[in-house]
Amino acid sequence: MLSNVLLKTVRDQRRSFMWWSVGIVLVNFITVLFYPSLSAATEFNEILGDDNSLMRAFVGDIADLTSPEGFLNSQLFFLLVPLLFIVFTAAQSTSAIAGEEEKGTLDILLSHPVPRWRVVAEKFAAMFATLFALALLAWLAIAAGALVVDMEISYARMLAVTVSAALLGLAFGSLGLALGSATGNRGLSIGVTGALAVTAYLLNALAPLVETLEPLQRVSPFYLYIGADPLSNGLDPVHAATLAALSAVLLATAALTFERRDIAV
Amino acid sequence: MAAAIETDRLRKSYGSVSAISDIDLEIQRGEVFGYLGPNGAGKTTTIRTLLDFIRPTSGKALVFGLDSREGSRDIKRRVGYLPSDIALYDRMKGEELLRHSAHLRGGVDWPFVLELAERLDMDLSRQIRTLSRGNTQKIGLIQAFMHRPDLIIMDEPSSGLDPLLQQEFYEMVDEVKAEGRTVFISSHILPEVERLCDRVGIIREGRLVKVENVESLKERALHEIEFHFAHPPPADVFTELPGVRGVQVEGSAVLVSVMGSLDAVVKAAARFEVTSVESHEPSLEDIFLSYYGNEQPHVE
Repeated sequence: MLSNVLLKTVRDQRRSFMWWSVGIVLVNFITVLFYPSLSAATEFNEILGDDNSLMRAFVGDIADLTSPEGFLNSQLFFLLVPLLFIVFTAAQSTSAIAGEEEKGTLDILLSHPVPRWRVVAEKFAAMFATLFALALLAWLAIAAGALVVDMEISYARMLAVTVSAALLGLAFGSLGLALGSATGNRGLSIGVTGALAVTAYLLNALAPLVETLEPLQRVSPFYLYIGADPLSNGLDPVHAATLAALSAVLLATAALTFERRDIAV
Repeated sequence: MAAAIETDRLRKSYGSVSAISDIDLEIQRGEVFGYLGPNGAGKTTTIRTLLDFIRPTSGKALVFGLDSREGSRDIKRRVGYLPSDIALYDRMKGEELLRHSAHLRGGVDWPFVLELAERLDMDLSRQIRTLSRGNTQKIGLIQAFMHRPDLIIMDEPSSGLDPLLQQEFYEMVDEVKAEGRTVFISSHILPEVERLCDRVGIIREGRLVKVENVESLKERALHEIEFHFAHPPPADVFTELPGVRGVQVEGSAVLVSVMGSLDAVVKAAARFEVTSVESHEPSLEDIFLSYYGNEQPHVE
């Protein structure tokens, strides 16, 4: 586990990853277990209110809370799952370069014959691997819950929306990596990443309610993640590819800016 | 064969402030070179440029004839580096950290790593975060020496080491030199530089003010010697003696600053009843003064 930067970075997270896994599995599994009590009571749909209710900013622009898709989208996928993925990647990506630089450990690392772009790439790969492992666990937990409560839903589409959420997490993680690599400032990187994630969420969530926001909704990565409702329709190839391309561009930006600048003492 | 280190009008500025300017160094293979200067003089800036952590504003640096920027990866294969105020991955054990480092380099002889650990009396099974500063420094030294690099660059290497280990460290440097490899040490501790180095470069306010071999540096060092007499001696006993640069009298105590041989001063003092003598090792500051007299530091 110590043979390169990628494996060492994964190894460093073994404890925190274990706790993340426990949390992700529990929160998803337990949430799904509440499905039967909610689906039995169609009056829950009343809390959705009319088409312009603010409630829709928190659960999504959906018609039915009590269908399997409506339940999972509103309770897990609209906010909670992507939020967890973004927190996971933002924390990891901003410590990757900027965190090491602030601690001073980057000096020794870069005194080895490893090019800077490669350090960035391996840190990205570590984030990618742990994020998708976490996404796989989230999917398994939801699928297990669905099996227990006998939910009528496609496991493949459940996987599609989980992968879509992971792609969203990857995009914001890549943003954190790019900011950290370009500035070496962890606080700034995590702050800007968080602020942009909240903005992207609100843009997507409020656009159906606020007319002036509507044209902007489509630029929100949250829209690319869930706007096409992957849980009902499967992964939208264009949206998924756009999120992946965004990550790729940010990764390239991270490597290029890091190559060109001075390392702080 | 290219020099181990060669810099050509190397300059690094931050805005209008120059951290270093016009540094021209040439360090031959097999040399142990001391880079001397007070804190903030530009020692670390020079070193970090050689390792391509920072990029020169102008001029260039070559290590084994390779450009510090383009040849960075090849340079790092042949260089061992110990930063000042070393920070290591504190959630790893010493052995894990060194194994990781060995993997990143490739071709490290692990028994040699263990031998170094033994020489420095270092327990590699301990977590880095539980280590004292001195022990952390030892891990840093091991990772700088373990791949038997052609050039070892160390920034304030013996800080935190206890005297016994300092001796061991000196021997490690001697062995590197005996094998024809090169060592570049930045320091502000004169006895260490005296003990280890063949030549020194003195840097002050970002400029290389002198490159000299250690012997001639010592000859020109200003020694301070303090005599306590049973009775106050005549005021001018020492002032006219060869090498004396200053005399301060306080009652029966006399502080004499001497450059070069102490012989005349000691013989003059011996004519009186001496109750005690203290000799102060010349500090780097003293050497600066002996070189530059009362010239004020240049302020931009």
